[in-house]
Amino acid sequence: MKSLKVIIDGIFRRNPTFVLVLGLCPTLGTTSSAITGMSMGLATLIVLMCSNFTVSALKSIIPDKVRIPAFILLIASFVTIVQMIMQAWLPALNESLGIFIPLIVVNCILLGRAEAFASKNNPWLSVCDGLGIGLGFTLALTIIGSVREILGTGAVFGIQLYSADFGALLFVLAPGAFIVLGLLIAVFNRLKEGR
Amino acid sequence: MLTYIAIIFSAILVNNIVFAQFLGICPFIGVSKNIDSAFGMSMAVAFVMAMATAVTWLLQHYVLEPFGIVYLQTIAFILVIAILVQMLEIIMKKSAPGLYVALGVYLPLITTNCAVLGTAIIAANKNFDFLYSIVYAVSTALGFGLAIVLFAAIRSQLELADVPRSMRGVPIALIVAGILAMAFMGFSGIKIA
Amino acid sequence: MKSSLRNMILSLTGLTVAIGAALAVVNEATADAIKETARRSRIEAMEAILPNFDNDIIATQELSEGLPLYRASFGGEPVGIAIETYSDNGFSGHISIIAGFDNNGKITGYRVLGHQETPGLGAKMGEWFATEPHSVIGSATSLSVKNDGGTIDAITGATITSRAFLDAINNARQALESYKK
Repeated sequence: MKSLKVIIDGIFRRNPTFVLVLGLCPTLGTTSSAITGMSMGLATLIVLMCSNFTVSALKSIIPDKVRIPAFILLIASFVTIVQMIMQAWLPALNESLGIFIPLIVVNCILLGRAEAFASKNNPWLSVCDGLGIGLGFTLALTIIGSVREILGTGAVFGIQLYSADFGALLFVLAPGAFIVLGLLIAVFNRLKEGR
Repeated sequence: MLTYIAIIFSAILVNNIVFAQFLGICPFIGVSKNIDSAFGMSMAVAFVMAMATAVTWLLQHYVLEPFGIVYLQTIAFILVIAILVQMLEIIMKKSAPGLYVALGVYLPLITTNCAVLGTAIIAANKNFDFLYSIVYAVSTALGFGLAIVLFAAIRSQLELADVPRSMRGVPIALIVAGILAMAFMGFSGIKIA
Repeated sequence: MKSSLRNMILSLTGLTVAIGAALAVVNEATADAIKETARRSRIEAMEAILPNFDNDIIATQELSEGLPLYRASFGGEPVGIAIETYSDNGFSGHISIIAGFDNNGKITGYRVLGHQETPGLGAKMGEWFATEPHSVIGSATSLSVKNDGGTIDAITGATITSRAFLDAINNARQALESYKK
């Protein structure tokens, strides 16, 4: 099952956040709570699957020298579609993710996967790669968001684990984003060495 | 005059693009291994950011809004930035080879620098006037420069420190950035008005 | 495909046209929904902060002292007024609020529409000023925090946000009074 392996590789061995350390801006900027982090991950996942599929399907008719602008054009159009759909039916989410939705365009994960995977593989495998990497990204953002929310406010996904008065607010604020991500990558490194 | 001083101060220190808005983190981590390249990168970003904000501002107010196609904003802006960076590279190579040698290697990286697109979108959506947008872009870029140069200086010291193995590289860099962000939080809430 | 000039221009043009068409279609499909969503969320906010009303409240919009003002009525009888107000003096800048008043000028409720205040501190204003003992609901006078000699407890650790919030509410009251005159 090659497609399954591609998906699982995307989540773990090639995890975009913890292993490749790509797309840091949304990783830090949208993880002040688990739910916003997860939503950002899912929005990226959708764009990534669509862009991987179209890049792979169109690779034979895109001349080599203009492939990067063509990829950017494709990614930007899917981002715009996601943006319009969110404005129409998920306005609260759109408000809380704010500028990070249009900025999916410049997330290096998308162009990176288009160039490194989709332009060399068939559409089906490319969608699998998009799904795997996208899930890996979503998982990472959800974990970071959960850790920050639990340490900062004592709650996660709306469940209060302990009184918010004992939360270290710092973790919800900007410095907490950097520190939590740094520590989580270190933990990931440690686990890799252990094996 | 005072409003301009206020935005300059706010964009550099209070709402620092890296530490408060989380934009441009990739080059912030990637190109901060030594002070010289950090300085070169921040100069290149400042240049592109000012140009891109000017061009996208005109595009927004004279093309997208009059024709009612604001929904094409993201695509139009990223194309403008990509073309601008390419043109700059060509022009610099021909007319200012000295500058090209200094900044050339950073130019291709700037297309996917979210700080540039982010600043252009913020300036267009917040209905700043033209001059205000330019001042905003330049001071945001200075804030980026300040952050990345400070960070590079700390990182070059960090090379000599004995860091646990799994913390080496990106993790310790992020934690240092977190401490810097804490320092920058000291500026928040300060107002010149 | 070979990167001849003709190929490059053809493929990029083709791509641009296809994308332009696709986006125009999606825009067509979502434009009405986007407008409707914005309208509905505005109405929901006003239903939450005003006494029961049955008129088309969005259509009653007027400006008073530069702030948008909406008149609510039930069976033709006026029951209250909602005013969109703001302050630029929040800890992180702009705070926008919609406040509801009954016929006697008493505050019936408020909603924070947008802000960038610190989570866990200033961001608590959405609930803080609606719960006793620091509630502003029911008040019919100009308000200020205790530090400034007023009667309202500021949010713990967020006096600047609290001042800005009350400022915005007071501006709304002023707009209400000058509208009534």
